[in-house]
Parts: sequence; C-alpha cells; structure tokens
Amino acid sequence: MTTGWSIWVMFLVVLNMGITFFLFLWAPHAKVPSRGDGTTGHAWAGGAIREGLRPLPRWWIVLSGAMFLGAFGYLWLYPGFGAHKGKLGWTAHGQLAREVAANDARLDPLLDRFRMYSVEQLAGDGEALQMGKRLFEDNCAACHGRAAHGNQALGAPDLTDHDWLYGGTGKDIVTSITHGRGGVMPSWSALGDTTVKDLAQYVLSLSGRPHDDLMAAVAEPIFKSTCAACHGADGKGNQGIGAPNLTDGIWLHGGSLEAIETTIRGGRQGHMPNWDRRLDADDIRVTAAYVYSLSHPGHGDAD
Amino acid sequence: MAYRHFEFIEKHAWTLGILTAVMVSLGGLAEITPLFMEAHAVKAPANVKPYDPLRLAGRDVYVAEGCYLCHSQMIRALRFETQRYGHYSTAEESVYDRPFQWGSKRTGPDLARVGGKYSDQWQRMHLMDPRSVVPQSNMPSYHWLADEKIDPKDIQARMRVLRELGDPYTDADIAAAPAAVKGKTKMDALIAYLQGLGIKNEPQPPDDGHEAAATGAP
Repeated sequence: MTTGWSIWVMFLVVLNMGITFFLFLWAPHAKVPSRGDGTTGHAWAGGAIREGLRPLPRWWIVLSGAMFLGAFGYLWLYPGFGAHKGKLGWTAHGQLAREVAANDARLDPLLDRFRMYSVEQLAGDGEALQMGKRLFEDNCAACHGRAAHGNQALGAPDLTDHDWLYGGTGKDIVTSITHGRGGVMPSWSALGDTTVKDLAQYVLSLSGRPHDDLMAAVAEPIFKSTCAACHGADGKGNQGIGAPNLTDGIWLHGGSLEAIETTIRGGRQGHMPNWDRRLDADDIRVTAAYVYSLSHPGHGDAD
Repeated sequence: MAYRHFEFIEKHAWTLGILTAVMVSLGGLAEITPLFMEAHAVKAPANVKPYDPLRLAGRDVYVAEGCYLCHSQMIRALRFETQRYGHYSTAEESVYDRPFQWGSKRTGPDLARVGGKYSDQWQRMHLMDPRSVVPQSNMPSYHWLADEKIDPKDIQARMRVLRELGDPYTDADIAAAPAAVKGKTKMDALIAYLQGLGIKNEPQPPDDGHEAAATGAP
C-alpha cells in the first residue's frame, strides 16, 4: 500500500471513529429542551405518541464504550489502520502456513508409520483406509463412482472386482494414480460392417455368451490376426497396454451386442488423468491402499 | 454543536438520508477505493497468458450460462480449502479475466483449479447429463451447448476489444482466431476453458507452483 492510500485509509478511520466517539461522549450530556412533562414536545398521532426524555441506560453506555475499546484494540493488534501491520503481525497467509504446519505435525507420525508398509499391507490398516476413502471420494468418485463400481458410459472401470486393466498389485495401482492411464482402441470400421458384426459375435463367444456360431467362426481368423495383437490370441487381454480381458464377462464400455459393435466400429479412448499434480506420494499410496481394499474385502481382518 | 443542530437533521429526511449515506460509505471508501485505483498495478506473471481463442469463447459461455451463480473460482487461504482445491487463488492469475469469476457462491464445488482433474470425456458427459457421472448431482444439464457453433467473426471482435483494454493479443493472434474455433461448438469451447482452469492459463499443465497444491502450503 502506498503512503497516499495509507493516509487515505487512516483519514477515513479517524473520521468515522471520531464522529461516532464524539457522539458517544456528547450525547449523554446534551441539553435537550424539556416541556416540563418529561417529553421533548415531539408528538405523533395527535399526541397519542410522545417522545420521552430519559438518560441513556448505564448498560448501554458501558457496552458502547466496550465496543470502542474493542475497535481501538483491534486496529492496534491487527492490520487495518492504513499501512500499520498490527502488533501481532497477523497475515492470512501466515495463519494458513501455521495451520498447515500444525496439521502436518499431527499427520507426520501417521504418515511415517504408513511409509513402513507396502500398499497391500496398508489396505489392512483402518486409519489408512479412512484417509484413503476421503481422498477417493474427493478425487476418484466422479468417474469410478462413490461405491467404485465404475461407469460404463464413461469407460471408467469397476474397482471392486478382480479384473485389472493395468495390473492390480499395490505398485500397479500407485502407477495408475500417479501418472494416469490412456487407453486407445482404434476404430475398425474399415473392416466393413459385416466383419464388425461377425467380430462382435466372436467376442460374445469368448465369454461363453449366447452368440451366432457361424458368424463367430468367420470372425475367428480375423480376430487372431488383428485384435489378438492387443487382446491376445486367447482374448485374455494385455495388462502391459491396458487391453481388456474379453473372456471374463466384465465389460469396460458395456457388454451388450450393440455396445460391443459400437466399440469395434468406433474404437474407444479411455483417459484417466494423472494425479501427481494434486496428490503427494503419501496421499497416492493411501488412496491406492483403499482401492486395493475394495477388491480384497476382509483383507484387514487377518491383520 | 447543540441539540438544535441534531434536531434539524432529525426533522429533515433528505439531510438525514444524505448524512447516513456518508457515514455508511466510509467503510467502503476505505476498503474498496485503494484496491480499485491500484488494480492496474497487478501485472500478469510470465506464465499467465491471455486466453487462446477457443478458451476465450468458452469463458464467455461460462459467463453467459451463469456458471458463477453456483461455482466460485476463488480458493481462500484456509487450510481446508487449499488441501482440497490446491494453492489459494492470487490476483495475478485473474489479470485477463474480465470480469473475474472469483465469486463466493458455492452450490457446486470451486472450479479455480479444476483443469485436468477430469478427462475431456467426463466433462462432456457431465455437461450433457450431470447425473450420468455424479448420481447425486443437482446441476442442470447444458446439452444444447453441443448444438451451438462458435462464431469466428465474433471471437475476433471480442479479442480486439480485450486488446483495447490491455490484453497483449497480436494481429497474428487475432488473424488466427477463426481457424482455432472453426467447427467448434460451445461445448468444446467450455470444456477447453474448464480444462485450463488453474493451471496458470496454460492448456498444458506446467510444473510450476503445484508442488504446493498437494500439501496446501503457500
């Protein structure tokens, strides 16, 4: 704040406080003409309502005086009177830094303990799960759902089953959260609509679903020469590149015939953002432990 | 001063009104005028750039749809805010926001640093039908944005006005604007705007200042 503006603010504070303080000192002693009947002579409603004259109550004067003391004290202790920084040197950022430090000091012993365990072990730790649940709900639930059952319309996987696109060890989950994941399946519409429909029947057959045997048989060699590059010749997927297992009856983008055809025809893009900008390493491990616990219920009971 | 002066004020409504207004405005004059008059002293740091055309169009959609009525873009310097949303907001970040979108109304969450938190696809689904991704959401659907195209001519006019106001757009920037928004819908623009929020006005997240986001330290 420049000196000019500092003086401006001080001037306004002094003016405001000065006027009110003057009134506070002057009013109780003001000579108000009386009509002898204890009123000012001001009358309304044909004299039914008249303005009485009474000294200000003592409690009112004491409370008002206390408010002035409070105001002077505030302006002395805290910033407010122009560029005066206040006796306490308080700043909003300073208070934030203190509160963060105090919170860190409370959390540090807990985090120190967490660092001694693997993610899998943390998944059996009640306190870690409590913290992980909070972080999950604030950061992950928007896509994976609060109950972590995923969202097929979005292509966000269910985290409560044992099917993992990129691996389900603690380390894999930490990697997924830290760096995010990008799943890319190209569009196969160039193969022609008949082939797309045949392939869909073959994909249905992989998980033992009702399908057209003839169409599936036609598509099998095409699957083995084309789709197998990512999904494997047996259709069991590839966790190295996040290609889903097509044999387990778990569907990332929907398992209806229509959804499978749409997937083959248009391809799919999956995108999980990276969280290393928002969460630190400890947060990520705790969140990973919570995610791990979702598909390992009762994991903590053995602890 | 004698009693008759005060009696005069009490008995003349206009005088009383004017003097009351003077007393009431002292606080505002002290708090608002210095910041208002010194606003030009806030300079954009090197990493804060004016909006690219698509994000500028998205920002105008954000304002036109009244998103600010439910979403603030101001993370206060309080631990439980910085821990959830990241580093507190600074005046320098909003130099190119006209009008700024800080606000204080939070029916929905603060969006100051929502950029990159969700995928583009999530943002699209969420704007088309919020319940499709957040079942308990009470946000309205904005599906019509997907049907309305951005007007390239209009965005150039907007950029020229902003340049008058001091945004450092070059002639080349303005000439390139129509190509940047060609064929884009309001939905695309709004998503581009949202995905850039809080990462220092850069479409790609730089690594600056965000180590603090995780810990909430300033």
